[in-house]
Amino acid sequence: MPRTSTVECPGCPPIRALTFDVLGLVKVVESRGKQGIPKVIERWGEPDSSRCVLAASINDRKDDPLLAVARKNGLIEVLNPLNGDALVTITKGGDGGLHVPEDDPIAGLHLLKKGRLESSSRLFTLLTCTKKGNASLKSIGITNSLSGSLCTSPKTWSISAVGEIFCSAVDGSENHALFGGKGVEINVWDLDKSSKIWTARSPPKNSLDIFTPTWFTAATFLDKEDHRKIVAGTNNHQVRLYDISAQRRPIISFNFRESPIKAVTEDLDGYTIYLGTGSGDLASIDMRTGKLLGCFVGKCSGSIRSIARHPELPVIASCGLDGYLRFWDVKTRQLLSAVFLKQQLTNVVIDSNFIGEEVSGIVVDPLSNVEQETNQTQVNEDGPPPVKRKKASKESEERKKPKHNKKSKVKDKDHSTSSPLLKPKRKSKKSAKDKDDDGS
Amino acid sequence: MGGKRKKGESDVVGVGEGEEEQQQQKKRQMLPSLIKNKEKRSAVHAKLKHEKKLEKRKKLKARDAAEKRALELGEEPPPKKIPRTIENTREFDETVCKPDDEELFAGNDADEFSSILKRECTPKILITTCRFNSTRGPAFISELLSIIPNAHYYKRGTYDLKKIVEYAKSKDFTSIIVVHTNRREPDALLIITLPDGPTAHFKLSNLVLRKDIKNHGNPTSHKPELVLTNFTTRLGHRIGRFIQSLFPQDPNFRGRRVVTFHNQRDFIFFRHHRYIFETKEIKQSNSDDKKFKDAKDEKIPQEKVIARLQECGPRFTLKLISLQHGTFDTKGGEYEWVHKPEMDTSRRRFFL
Repeated sequence: MPRTSTVECPGCPPIRALTFDVLGLVKVVESRGKQGIPKVIERWGEPDSSRCVLAASINDRKDDPLLAVARKNGLIEVLNPLNGDALVTITKGGDGGLHVPEDDPIAGLHLLKKGRLESSSRLFTLLTCTKKGNASLKSIGITNSLSGSLCTSPKTWSISAVGEIFCSAVDGSENHALFGGKGVEINVWDLDKSSKIWTARSPPKNSLDIFTPTWFTAATFLDKEDHRKIVAGTNNHQVRLYDISAQRRPIISFNFRESPIKAVTEDLDGYTIYLGTGSGDLASIDMRTGKLLGCFVGKCSGSIRSIARHPELPVIASCGLDGYLRFWDVKTRQLLSAVFLKQQLTNVVIDSNFIGEEVSGIVVDPLSNVEQETNQTQVNEDGPPPVKRKKASKESEERKKPKHNKKSKVKDKDHSTSSPLLKPKRKSKKSAKDKDDDGS
Repeated sequence: MGGKRKKGESDVVGVGEGEEEQQQQKKRQMLPSLIKNKEKRSAVHAKLKHEKKLEKRKKLKARDAAEKRALELGEEPPPKKIPRTIENTREFDETVCKPDDEELFAGNDADEFSSILKRECTPKILITTCRFNSTRGPAFISELLSIIPNAHYYKRGTYDLKKIVEYAKSKDFTSIIVVHTNRREPDALLIITLPDGPTAHFKLSNLVLRKDIKNHGNPTSHKPELVLTNFTTRLGHRIGRFIQSLFPQDPNFRGRRVVTFHNQRDFIFFRHHRYIFETKEIKQSNSDDKKFKDAKDEKIPQEKVIARLQECGPRFTLKLISLQHGTFDTKGGEYEWVHKPEMDTSRRRFFL
């Protein structure tokens, strides 16, 4: 029998996401209410292919949030993510840029959350990195007069002379940044001193004596607090885990499917990552063991360019070349809803301060629900003696996640967890158990 | 078995005509496939079929009569019923292009094909094959060369496709077509738009070459007109523009040559025709000639201008397998669209 009705998507918790596409449009997608259907609320900018967004970064603090957007024509715009007003526009030529934007587009852009110079609240710091490996760190202040902006002299340095930079990331404390790309091994820089502190080594030749050339396409820090663990995806569909304190070669390295890893995003719990590939596969992986937790299936047919994790709700957003913005439940890996945004999307960021309802009382509900659940699970997990838990650890994978959510939320918990990843693979299950003990 | 039931029936109803009708209904309800004896089964089946046929004829007659009466009385004839097909009960697709979508047009202006479609540059096509190539492959290519103006065939040799892409870029080609042959039969078409993508991979099937078409014509070297039908969704629109960019955008109407890409249920049918307009007075419409493809004319029994078609060939069917962002790169390529088995949730879901 042909199906007559379409499959219903269960709808989203209140969420606000901003997407960026190849025509330089910024679209704001919001879902309101408890199980709302996300809709496009606003569209900023006029369609123009030269304004194609290459990178975007959001600083979603409570007061005065900022959104930085890097465009193809070399402009970096700083917007207000609430109403889309352009606060500052930085042309690359004007600010001590040494290069022509056409042949050296921006590959990475990060809006640092804490100001490097604490002199005024309207000051922010921007880390940019171009494809040819020129990184620069500049502090820009917004004066109250609209046009005027003062810019301190940028700190620039060159990451590598050869190769192209494809990915970059900044850790939670914002003292370290990593870069990687085609012909560029993953390297970690200290932003304060702007000096390189670590470089990866390429893995040895394989059994057939074939050396695969370096080509990193996505990378991130595994944990927000810890700058030592790095997950990187390569163009030949390999996922690698590096530990700076241990060795220069990857600790874990495994293949995922058969198309290049295009997006890697870390979870809040510090060991789960989300992968997006060039043929539209989205999966979550436990990096302690390198095992696949599960795939996010749902007619996703275009390459995934960007994944964003909501800092509180168990939701991720993914977007890519098929023009859909999709929201997924992290725990059940169900598609919550999909929004068709007409263009090929390049980036998505989530505005975490969004309150779904005008009445703020309702909005707290999903959060408190999650917390209640986590409390329950904690009670459950505290019940059985630790010997039994080792067996149950696999089944309780699902239940573990919310608890770790809470862990990251309640930050006064000590994270003295000795890095369990350093242990060899065989013990990984045990290390998982260790982590459990810490969390509960 | 049947007899027993009949008896029961007559006991209950007991009136002449009503009884018969009831019996008939009962018979219809009882499936012939439940009868185990083959002879009886086939007899019942034949009877059922005959009844159905009669009924259908009756219905048709009634409908025709109603229409005729309505015409005589000068009323509106009863509305013609539209059969339900897979296409017109297609699942709702939000990606279907709307004519008032300004973002769509902005996207069109920005895409890779716009320079050709705005006639800023003329298409120049390189046609090559897979490494091994024999019999039907070259024949197909020679026909492709006659269809697509400004197409050049290059021997494949043992070059890598990526090298060929580089070469073609430097020689200002705008597209590469690779005809892939398997078991001496062309079975795939890889079309690469230069200089920077996209790359489409089509499955090719039902290839009928020109010489195998009865009463085929031989095409002239005029630039053909292009007909693209039913490319509705965003992906379909893109594929349509993709195909359009293979052909020059200034058709020579004197050539009266049409190349058709007709999309139906995600299959793209290719046909190549010559047409002619003729003024003719026809005695009566030749109603038996209802064949869609070789339809001789619209049957209007007056002196009329009619269009006649002659197929030039070849015919083939394409089905999109993947659309890749950028030029050919199977290992590191990013796909804009790939067909995955999990997408086939329904027969009524189409992507183009």
